[in-house]
Amino acid sequence: MRFLVRRLGFLLVALWAALTLNFFIPRLMPGNPAESMMARFRGHVNPAALHALEVAFGIGGHQSLVTAYFEYLGNTLRGNLGISTSYFPLSVTSVILKALPWSLGLVGLSTVVGFLIGTAVGAIAAWRRGGKMDSVLPPTFIVISAFPYFWVGLLAIWLFAVTLNWFPILGGYSETAVEQWSWPFAGDVLTHAILPAFTIVITSIGGWILTMRNNMITVVAEDYVKMARAKGLKNQRILWQYAGRNAMLPSLTGFAMSLGFVISGAILVEYVFNYPGLGFMLLQAVQTEDYPLMQALFLLITVAVLLAIFVSDIVTAILDPRTRVRA
Amino acid sequence: MRKKFKGGLLAAAFVFVASTSAIAIPSVVSVSSAGAATQVPLNLANEQGELWSCAFNPFVPTSSPYSVGLTYETLDFVDSLQSGKVTPWLATGYAWSNSNKTLTFTIRPGVKWSDGKAFSAADVVYTFNLLKKDTALDTNAVWSVLSSVTAKGSNQVVMNFSTSAVPYFYYVAGQVPIVPEHIWKSIKNPVTYVDSAPVGTGGYVMSHCTPQNIQWTSNKSYWQKGKAVVQTVNMPAFLSNNTCNEYLATGQSQWGSQFIPNIKSYYVAKKAGNSYWFPPVANVTLFPNLKVAPLNDVAVREAISYALNRSTISTKGEYGYEPPASQDGVVSPTFSSWASSAAVSKLGTGYNPSKAKSVLEADGYKMGSNGFFSKNGKELKLSIITNGGYSDWVATEQVMAQELGKVGIDANPETPSATTFASDVYTGNYQLAYDVESGGPTPYYEMRQWLFSKNSAPEGKAAATNWERFSSPAVDTLLNSYGSTTSAATQHSIVSQLENVMVTQFPVIPVLEEVDWFQFNSKDFTGYPSASNPYAQPGLYNEPDWGYVLDNIKPVS
Repeated sequence: MRFLVRRLGFLLVALWAALTLNFFIPRLMPGNPAESMMARFRGHVNPAALHALEVAFGIGGHQSLVTAYFEYLGNTLRGNLGISTSYFPLSVTSVILKALPWSLGLVGLSTVVGFLIGTAVGAIAAWRRGGKMDSVLPPTFIVISAFPYFWVGLLAIWLFAVTLNWFPILGGYSETAVEQWSWPFAGDVLTHAILPAFTIVITSIGGWILTMRNNMITVVAEDYVKMARAKGLKNQRILWQYAGRNAMLPSLTGFAMSLGFVISGAILVEYVFNYPGLGFMLLQAVQTEDYPLMQALFLLITVAVLLAIFVSDIVTAILDPRTRVRA
Repeated sequence: MRKKFKGGLLAAAFVFVASTSAIAIPSVVSVSSAGAATQVPLNLANEQGELWSCAFNPFVPTSSPYSVGLTYETLDFVDSLQSGKVTPWLATGYAWSNSNKTLTFTIRPGVKWSDGKAFSAADVVYTFNLLKKDTALDTNAVWSVLSSVTAKGSNQVVMNFSTSAVPYFYYVAGQVPIVPEHIWKSIKNPVTYVDSAPVGTGGYVMSHCTPQNIQWTSNKSYWQKGKAVVQTVNMPAFLSNNTCNEYLATGQSQWGSQFIPNIKSYYVAKKAGNSYWFPPVANVTLFPNLKVAPLNDVAVREAISYALNRSTISTKGEYGYEPPASQDGVVSPTFSSWASSAAVSKLGTGYNPSKAKSVLEADGYKMGSNGFFSKNGKELKLSIITNGGYSDWVATEQVMAQELGKVGIDANPETPSATTFASDVYTGNYQLAYDVESGGPTPYYEMRQWLFSKNSAPEGKAAATNWERFSSPAVDTLLNSYGSTTSAATQHSIVSQLENVMVTQFPVIPVLEEVDWFQFNSKDFTGYPSASNPYAQPGLYNEPDWGYVLDNIKPVS
């Protein structure tokens, strides 16, 4: 119980620190959203709009930084994230809700798939150290994961979408398709998701393989594994339930963190594929100095990562009683 | 923005992909309504680097380009390409009185909102008073000069101004969209109103919007018979310029507002019927900071103006798409009739490096052994800033720096991020800045933005325009006098005097002419604006112009 309380306390302090940084960092950037928006228009709107925009965004008011800070804390706790300045006049919540499913679906699923495949390959590779699989798969994927992501993404586009024409190049769905719950639309979304998902999986797999393989090698040498062998248990059972379960613990924390980062989308993936998710939105929010949207996205990422770590702590504690303090 | 340069590597990689092989765009799934299958949809190519917000609030600059003109209409259409030629729209007529301080509009009868309710003068009065109540909605600052807007009789609207306000006609009649009172009066906060299903009087009704596409269909009960006959219009959201250009070049889009490198081979030659026209509308200008040395010295500004070979800059920086500008500030050929012969003859070709040198020498500058001028031991060294997000401006800036170096001015091009740049320009934190004003239907508007002292602000405070912080009571008087005359001859004479200020005081230095980016394919649709019939600005970001064009486009039968 004390363990749980301590972890919870840490969670709250980390949250407060994140909120505070989140409030101040965007304000250290030069300019303000109204000026940034005028710069985007390149002379296409009446210059007088600068004043109107400043009024609309509440810039240049007499509110002090301290008042604004406490107002921000209060609003955030009440779930009021404000109005996006780049997607003005949409509320930040509605903007995020539009993009969230796309990131969760694409990045979430491919992260899970990448983790599962990577961990399995790592475990098997370590089990049959020096075997064919061990000498081919881990090095290949580690090399792939060392490539810059956008290069892999563009290569995949060039090969599978442009040259072979198997998949569409960009977007979450066809440009003029109607968003609705129907089989043709679901199929449309799926064909658009395959290529970006594939690139996420092949670039993330290497890390999982490496971690799992290294852990597994140590674990396999443990006495209890020797004991299991001596008992004559089936190889499969020793591999997954004796060695695999313990070797997976460090990977699990990493997995929890990467699940947290799913919320941020994969910025490069979404940019390269014009995918309408949160990562692309974050990029845009930074470019246009959309403070409310930026803050909400950073907050969401922080909360997701903190929660994911919290959950992984609990799970680790359940799987491995030694991590419980004076249990 | 259509020329945004997001991350060098990424952009370079895109170029690599685009040049290795043509990018195939997923085929457009047509969702035209039943029975409308006979006509192909008109697809627009307008890369904004963002997904659509599906907001259509006509008073918010982020959403207004997608509703003003096509859904919401203005009282008159003012053509910026024909010196402000007025075409009646929701008003059938207007008249100035009371020494140009009162403007009376006669409102068109028989117009209906797209929900079937009747449009009337009351809606006009309501709209203007809505802007008065909420400054955040008044993006044209019409209430900086208006004092009252009231109804007169059943079909007239009377606008009273606090001063003679002839040039404000462009804003009150040509820029303010009229909204239905019966809908807007129940909206609690019009500033944050999303307006996801806009009800207007215009020829097009927004029929479907997703973050990836906006679709409009023609308003079946539109009051202008025979207009707005394109049944379906799509505007897909593009996040990168290359994919959008490909969509346009392959003929999937019939109307675009794109910056396309090597347009002749990349676009025109690709598909029969592909064509383009880039009408100049304003000046991309070097703003010298008049509050700092050495740019507070007119000789230095004059030398800079004569040192720039604008033709070279145009070819090297902009593929020649943006023609060379003139120091007199008159955009040609759009406003050629306004050019004063005195100013033109004083300038010659505008490029005269030996004159640039002699002006500096007469001012006490000495050429040093390193090839740069200096005065009192201080070298003539300047920094130029421009928006680092626009690759064409960055290129242009570098060519300008080379040109200045040739006459002995040590110019250092800098490329801050878009926001830093905007902030620096507005607050006067620069030496030379390369930027553009919005201009207007006659050269007067841009000159007022450049030169009117009240538009400016002290250093450190944001100035909406007049970023160089020019201040001259005589010029202010001259600018104000334009407001009190409707006579074309007097207006021309005032602009001539302003041109004289431009070529003697060099308050700002126009370099190239900002153009409207416009590509079209004539196979399926016809009736676009052209050099011989410049009835509206064709760029898809000009409101209400592009909606007005849409009303006039016809399918090829």
